[in-house]
Amino acid sequence: MSIRVELYRHLAAKPLLIVRGALRSVGGVSVIELVLALAVNGLVWGLIIALIALGLSIIFGLLDIINVAHGDFFMLGTVAALTLTVASGSYWIALLLVPIIGFAVGIVLERLVIRPTIRQASLTIVTTFGLSMMLQEGVRAIYGAQPRRMEAPIEGTLPLFGIDYDVYRLFAAAFAALCLIAFFAFLTRTKLGTWIRAVRHDPETATALGVPVARICAITFGLGTAMAFLGGVIAAPITTVEFRTGVDILPFCFMAVIIGGLGNLQGTVAAAVLLAVLEGLVTSVTDPTIARIISLAFMSVVLLVRPNGLFSGATR
Amino acid sequence: MTATNISRVALVVFAGLLLAVPVVMPMFVSPFWIDIIAEILIWSLLAASVNLLLGYVGLLSFGQALFFGVGMYGAALSVIHWGADFWGGLAVGIVAAMLMAAIAGSVAVRLTWHYFAIITVVFSLILYFAAMSAKPITGGDDGISFSTPKVFSFGDLELSLADQSVQYYTILLVVAACYGLFGLIVRSPLGVRFMAVRENDRRAALVGINVYLTRYLAFVLAGGLAGASGALFAFFGRYASASYMFYHVSGEAVVWAIVGGAGSLLGPLFGTGLLIIFRELISTVWEHYLFVVGAITVLVVMFAPRGLAGAWSDFMKVIGRNKPAETPTSNPGLSKPAADTKLGG
Repeated sequence: MSIRVELYRHLAAKPLLIVRGALRSVGGVSVIELVLALAVNGLVWGLIIALIALGLSIIFGLLDIINVAHGDFFMLGTVAALTLTVASGSYWIALLLVPIIGFAVGIVLERLVIRPTIRQASLTIVTTFGLSMMLQEGVRAIYGAQPRRMEAPIEGTLPLFGIDYDVYRLFAAAFAALCLIAFFAFLTRTKLGTWIRAVRHDPETATALGVPVARICAITFGLGTAMAFLGGVIAAPITTVEFRTGVDILPFCFMAVIIGGLGNLQGTVAAAVLLAVLEGLVTSVTDPTIARIISLAFMSVVLLVRPNGLFSGATR
Repeated sequence: MTATNISRVALVVFAGLLLAVPVVMPMFVSPFWIDIIAEILIWSLLAASVNLLLGYVGLLSFGQALFFGVGMYGAALSVIHWGADFWGGLAVGIVAAMLMAAIAGSVAVRLTWHYFAIITVVFSLILYFAAMSAKPITGGDDGISFSTPKVFSFGDLELSLADQSVQYYTILLVVAACYGLFGLIVRSPLGVRFMAVRENDRRAALVGINVYLTRYLAFVLAGGLAGASGALFAFFGRYASASYMFYHVSGEAVVWAIVGGAGSLLGPLFGTGLLIIFRELISTVWEHYLFVVGAITVLVVMFAPRGLAGAWSDFMKVIGRNKPAETPTSNPGLSKPAADTKLGG
């Protein structure tokens, strides 16, 4: 039998009863196998969320912006993926185009909204909150409030720890991991990446050495947005496409960024994967709301005890 | 006439208008607008609680909806389970919210700047999820409703909240009392300490102000304001729902406070009024009014970060010429502290 385990897109309002029922009802599957399957599912989501959270993290690290609209960038990515797939007939074209669109959207928004308000550091939270309202309501006005589903571009399931697991999910995880590796390679191996790291490290010196700081900031915001869009297009076939998806994903991204350390990129990735796997495991014994409360409480402790992140000291 | 005098006259006229609402308003528009004004008054207290933190102490809280929700449930549950009357329910709501703020604040105000904003969201999310799943007590998303609160009586005259005018004046009384108290506090030595901490926490510490305690007191007081708002709203709608604890409600309060002008006593009241009246007018025509609210938010932050109050005090400066207006002229709490002061205490 197939158990479609879908975590993290569920808020408290939609408790994940399927999983709890599964523990009792699946005859052939042992509890250990189910726990392992949930851990794998956590890993899949963790890698996708790591991609999105990394976008949030580079934007914070460079521009000191807490981007409350980041979840909505992800949501726009899922909507764009669905629209483009329907229009072009192929998911793969969407996969290629959506991040590019995201980059363009990011560049435009940075110029129009972020740059004029960047001087008031804490107010950028308010600006991006306003932006988030506009994006959500805009999508609702155009596409309606009805949640929609998207066909997985790769069909079929694979037997995994006794349950049939979607092949596409495994592809999504692998692709997200590949994008993460590519991003870190970009940061360390290219000139632009080096500039981005230089501006993060010391904007004054970077300016003095001729790095175009304003342009780097715009590109970084564009990249961060593109990563949220990319996360959206990867996740679109395994989640619902609606104007509220971003609201569900945002707290999780923030948890990853905080626990990993604000602006600590490797930490963000590690924390996203760790949290998703842990929440997956906790979900196998209790309901997802409790799992979410536990990880939020964990995050507050990290914020208070190690405000620079769980891994502070390791990379700084 | 000096600017201060104009401001004073404007305030008296405004108070008179608020008092006249139930009498005058039905002559011109539908009596339904009395309830809208009452709603504005209630929500403005939530905006005021954001304002107390952002405008006077320099802390941006994105979690005030938590205390709103606690005030709401404090009032609703005390009416349902203990048969409390209006004042009892209100008191329970406010005290419960302040207790919650005292607990959350003891750790939250150790942080400042972005970190404070995040931890307030996190706390409100934790309690939001908890309230959502504790359906037997809170009713979760659907909420719990209760019958019209017990009549409250002065002598042998009995008044009921079921009467629209009585309800309006009761709300006006409580809200006015809250603003009066707020005004007294910010003009007291404690208020001066608030502003010293807002301007420069390090210098404030050096002149002997206990920065942590000052922020803590502000947080608890702000919790009380949000709690009063929530309790009043529970009586107003005769129900309490966990959905009001979501961070979007906090975000809206921040928007109201900023549109009105953080750092001025009554600014957020006007910000709330403007946006709620706007909502009522637009939402009948176009259901996606939130899009416009978002746009207004972005535009205000871009072009008028001091909000309506800032515009008013600029206007007063032009009229009064010789005297600057009373409102603080600096841009409160909005500058980024030096890197080494990011984390408080």
